[in-house]
Amino acid sequence: MTAAIPTIALVGNPNAGKSSLFNALTGARQKIANYPGVTVERKAGHASFADGRPMSLVDLPGSYSLTPASPDEAVTRDVLLGRQAGERQPDALVVVVDAANLDNHLCFALELIALGRPTVVALNMLDLATRDGLTLDPAILSRELGVPVVPTVAVRKRGLADLLAAVDGAILSHQTQASAPSAPPPSDAALHQRARAIARAATVSETPVRRWTGRVDAIVLHPVAGFLILLALMFVMFQGVYAWSEAPIGWIEGGIAALQGAVDAALPDGFLRGLIIEGILGGVGSVIVFLPQILILFLFILLLEATGYMTRAAFLMDGIMAKVGLSGRGFIPLLSSFACAVPGIMATRAIPDAKDRLTTILIAPLMTCSARLPVYTLIIGAFIPNSNVGGSPVGLQGLVLFGLYLSGIVGALVVALVLRRTVAKGTAAGFMMEMPRYQWPRLRDVAIALWQRAWIFLRRAGTIIFVTTIALWLLLSYPTVPTDSSESQVDYSVAGRIASGLEVVVAPIGFNHDIALALIPAMAAREVAVSALATANAIEAGDDEEAMAQSLSERLQGRWSIATALAFLAWFVFAPQCISTIAITKRETNGWKWPLFMVGYLFALAYAAAGITYWTAVAFGLG
Amino acid sequence: MNPRLDSAPLGVAVRISRIDWDAMSQDEGRRLREFGLMEGIEVTPLHRGSLFSRDPLALSVGRMQVIIRARQAAMIEVAPTAP
Ligand SMILES: Nc1nc2c(ncn2[C@@H]2O[C@H](COP(=O)(O)OP(=O)(O)OP(=O)(O)O)[C@@H](O)[C@H]2O)c(=O)[nH]1
Ligand SMILES: [Mg+2]
Repeated sequence: MTAAIPTIALVGNPNAGKSSLFNALTGARQKIANYPGVTVERKAGHASFADGRPMSLVDLPGSYSLTPASPDEAVTRDVLLGRQAGERQPDALVVVVDAANLDNHLCFALELIALGRPTVVALNMLDLATRDGLTLDPAILSRELGVPVVPTVAVRKRGLADLLAAVDGAILSHQTQASAPSAPPPSDAALHQRARAIARAATVSETPVRRWTGRVDAIVLHPVAGFLILLALMFVMFQGVYAWSEAPIGWIEGGIAALQGAVDAALPDGFLRGLIIEGILGGVGSVIVFLPQILILFLFILLLEATGYMTRAAFLMDGIMAKVGLSGRGFIPLLSSFACAVPGIMATRAIPDAKDRLTTILIAPLMTCSARLPVYTLIIGAFIPNSNVGGSPVGLQGLVLFGLYLSGIVGALVVALVLRRTVAKGTAAGFMMEMPRYQWPRLRDVAIALWQRAWIFLRRAGTIIFVTTIALWLLLSYPTVPTDSSESQVDYSVAGRIASGLEVVVAPIGFNHDIALALIPAMAAREVAVSALATANAIEAGDDEEAMAQSLSERLQGRWSIATALAFLAWFVFAPQCISTIAITKRETNGWKWPLFMVGYLFALAYAAAGITYWTAVAFGLG
Repeated sequence: MNPRLDSAPLGVAVRISRIDWDAMSQDEGRRLREFGLMEGIEVTPLHRGSLFSRDPLALSVGRMQVIIRARQAAMIEVAPTAP
């Protein structure tokens, strides 16, 4: 045996369960979801054979063949053929196939086996095959394919030990074998014929089962009813974000206030007390309060992804997406962008057409990401009455939130239409996608993914939001205003003076000094707008007991007109206030051209939208 | 002219008799074949369009369901399955 740690690649059709297998073997937490094209990058992890020898496992994007149709599939080909820069060709392949769809999955498997590398087939999703009334014989399959076949159920961690043993064996026996002779590749038709013949041979029995999924699709994919269901789902999602988060938000607020009280009592008046109470607890705390809302939103998205509904949504949206020159394929990254535009932009790698992909990247920041939720919630909570619309159970606040999401979507579609006729001109994009079977979401997977999101959010609060807020607190606290001055501390401070400069530019669209102050630090991350407002208000309140007792939204009500508040919301629908999005756009488009274009057009739109909103509101007497 | 997949009735299995490979791009053709859509194969159109659009088309091929656009379906000639 060589001393080098063997590299083993997981490869196969999209949605075959490669990442599930990868997670089960390495303990990693790669994203798993029930639609094709989830993994878009090569990802390596560590695992070990039964006797403890280490191996390096590589999870790859799913692909239908070695000829790539989209950037993610190109990664798979490059790794397998050893064309990836600085990478050895993998020492062995684990070809993951869906036991319930062998006809199709065996085609790529045959192509991979023909590469002549040590190969083992993981006959995955055996539980689903059984559910569909299929009985398969792995021994026959192994004989026909000429490589070991190991039955697995990745999500239940079944068959893992056998799989690793088979891989070990394949690597060992391969060294004594001459590599397979390279015959000319068979035609697609011949390959499929052979795949079907093998699948038939390996099928012991096949009982037709009447599945409920067909009936579900008849409703869910109905041209009219299906579309209404999609709208209703999204509507419930935004109502839920409000209705179900009220109580937990109250607990967190209570906890933070208690901490502030304790610090207030324990520390003498001074720099440290101010920093902790106003900067850390007041500023960062004002963002952490939104954790419940963000988790509810993610729960919805995770459930849509796990069940297989995502592809149905793509089907329903394709008609509309086609009208603006995109495809239903692009709807999936856009929907993930509701959580965060960064993974959304990454997910566009599964889009085959380059111009289609570019346009989708450029409009992804218009999808209302979860970082906007704190901003929206704060302003809506302060300025929109918490009542129901005309006696119905529909809450007005939830409705406004839904409206903001809708503005983002409509804005994105209009922008796409323009881009596809100008800078991203090209032939109409196609739409070809496999539709996965429905699955029940696995509670454990959903819980883990939610926990991951919570952790990411808290880490953001503890790093980028924390640092910007502290920096802002310092800039707001110094220089200290002289006691005989009539100016407030905020106006007198460094940050206040910078904001006064910016205020000149944004005053025409109704923005006041508070907003000008919040906008610059919010470039780092949108949530900072909230912590900036909170910090500035805490400093302004100073030792004034009465002002201290007021909540941030109460204080905003006294300082902003409704027109200003609405303009501020409109601004956040469009403004590209997120460094990570700009960075990922640069990476995915290989240069500064498109991120700069994106930032430019989004700021222009944000300014115009805020202006129009403000002037209209003022005309209606809300100034 | 033979009936095409884009106008085939939903829920009825048909056999692909001919595909106009030259009318589509190489990538499109390859992806169709990767989905198993080739001459001689049986498919069942299942769902068509949403709201005011006739696009896309969902069909079953073997044990798999795939979505394609009407434009591609129009390049696929179909015949009734042998009784
Ligand atoms: N019932 C069942 N479901 C499985 C099994 N393995 C994976 N899944 C589910 O299949 C779906 C796809 O799993 P992934 O691991 O994301 O598939 P993948 O091959 O990595 O997909 P891509 O990254 O898109 O190529 C998920 O919903 C999994 O929960 C299995 O053995 N049985
Ligand atoms: Mg994957």
